[in-house]
Amino acid sequence: MAEAVASSSTSVESKPIKGSRSPAVQTLLAFVKTYPYLLPAIFFFVGWQILPIYQALHISFTDDKFLDNQAPNWIGLQNYRDLMSDSLFWTGLRRALTFTVIFVPGMIFIPMVAAILIDRVTHAKVATVYRIILLIPAMIPAPLIFVLWLWMYNNYIGPINYLLVDVFSIYDLQTQPQWLNNPNLIYFSIAFMEWWWGLGYHTMFFLAGLATIPRDLFDAARVDGAGEWRMFWGITIWRLLPIILVLTVIRFGSAMAVITEYIIMGGYDRTKNTYTWTVYMYDTAFGGGMQFRGYAAAIGWMGALFMLMVVAVMFYLFRSRD
Amino acid sequence: MSSVTAPASRAVSTDRAAADIWKPKKRFNWGFYVRHGVLITMCLWVLLPIAWVFLLSFKSLQDGAQRYIWPNNFIDPLYTHYEFVLTKPRIVGPVWVNFQNSVYVTLMTVVAATVVSVLAGYALVHLRTPGQRVILAVLVASLFFPTQVTAIIGIFSIQQRLGLINKTWSLMLPYTALSVAISIFIMRGVFQTVPKDLIDSAKIDGATSLRTLLGIVLPIVRNGVVVVIIVNFVAAWGEYLLALTLMNDASKRTLPVFLGSAAGGVGGLLWPRMAALYIVAIIPALVTFAIAQRWYMKGLQEGALKG
Repeated sequence: MAEAVASSSTSVESKPIKGSRSPAVQTLLAFVKTYPYLLPAIFFFVGWQILPIYQALHISFTDDKFLDNQAPNWIGLQNYRDLMSDSLFWTGLRRALTFTVIFVPGMIFIPMVAAILIDRVTHAKVATVYRIILLIPAMIPAPLIFVLWLWMYNNYIGPINYLLVDVFSIYDLQTQPQWLNNPNLIYFSIAFMEWWWGLGYHTMFFLAGLATIPRDLFDAARVDGAGEWRMFWGITIWRLLPIILVLTVIRFGSAMAVITEYIIMGGYDRTKNTYTWTVYMYDTAFGGGMQFRGYAAAIGWMGALFMLMVVAVMFYLFRSRD
Repeated sequence: MSSVTAPASRAVSTDRAAADIWKPKKRFNWGFYVRHGVLITMCLWVLLPIAWVFLLSFKSLQDGAQRYIWPNNFIDPLYTHYEFVLTKPRIVGPVWVNFQNSVYVTLMTVVAATVVSVLAGYALVHLRTPGQRVILAVLVASLFFPTQVTAIIGIFSIQQRLGLINKTWSLMLPYTALSVAISIFIMRGVFQTVPKDLIDSAKIDGATSLRTLLGIVLPIVRNGVVVVIIVNFVAAWGEYLLALTLMNDASKRTLPVFLGSAAGGVGGLLWPRMAALYIVAIIPALVTFAIAQRWYMKGLQEGALKG
């Protein structure tokens, strides 16, 4: 990303605008001319992203309870101190992390395989049909995805357990997998749904990456007698590595922050494995009781800080070593 | 795409030209069958759950409550469940209200996000932008921050202060904000494919930067605009958490909140009828995609995925 930033900031800049104005005046002129274009973006971005995040930080230093109709008091770091010894928060963080570890590898690997296979399909129309079919779930609104898979995993009418129990007789009605109630299975069940949902979208990323690999590389490798397997490990994987790393970081971020899935599929049961730090935060802020917004904001910020730390470590590990 | 393996197969076939005289039978092409076998399996994985719901929406009410997939009896006439969910006032009332809210909010979000990201992407690529690095750094950083979760308390307090709780239209403000960074990166990637010379020559001809954008650049990047429209359409049409949190009044909510909370059956709505409602609910997005997919695919290839 950094190189792209550096390379695109030139061209118009290099030409003096008119006559011999001082650089400061030129910058001012450019500012006046360009910022009207950026103003709408700044309006939305600052107003409903930067400001709310800052607002949440501010609230996290208070004892704000939404329903007690009293002005919140500034209590400094007290919420954060309480969080340190709040086992539910740490359990929630661990739960989110467990899901992330299960979810991310599949969300990288399956679309990569799909993309490599589609890339080799010689018939252009057939390749397009594959792409379109795989992209269909990406077009379904998120809550409807969760409702669909609630049905899939259902014990009474769900087709998955129907096939396992009635058709293939692998399980019987007593032993059938409790996809959403078995604490050991639920992360996998949700991850499986997410893979289904994201397959087409992520495949598009890998296809874009594959399209940049020069074909002669493969031809040369074939002449040298390399098989498909050798070519994958020798060429493809290295060319796809930047995409894999970027997707790993991005998907880590989205997986740690999953919330709607957990609320729709697991509800607000504290003992359930779907009760992660995100659900804990939402439940504390908007659920029952006094709606402790101050404490909830602290949960949100602690979770965010933890995630940013991991992302920073990943960036360090994945830094370009060229 | 068709040139991908052509040279390779030619190279192999010249090697084997002599041998083929003795062995005219073509070698069984494992790669071909494995490749398509895996891809067709994946397509079935994607399609079968949707097909199952589709089938459910045509089952008779008795069969709809049973485990077996293929029903003994279909409902007669087949469109009964659809007619039911589209005409029964008890269902149509709330669904229609929430559907209208969804359409309303989604349209405003899509228009706002498209205008915002086209203008900003253009400025960041083709205009001299003081502080460009700072802007890009902040946008990138926002992609790694769990905004959706951490900001929701702040968004609530801001909307409350502005008196926007239970004002359906106001959802477009956080919706646009949530996807503004990704939309700008998509447009930036697309604008980078437009040659600088084109813009410089328009400038020499005396066109203002806005004229250049609207008259010359925008028609070139229209596929990228389609990508931004679809990304924002899907995000806004399916947003659940903010709509749930900021709208207390059921009549102010959007369709996803209604359907998400109706998962277990709403007011004794039976499975096949739920399924019919489900199909009705996913149709708008799928039709939009079917119409726009050609430009969408092109837009993705033209650099929208570079961000």
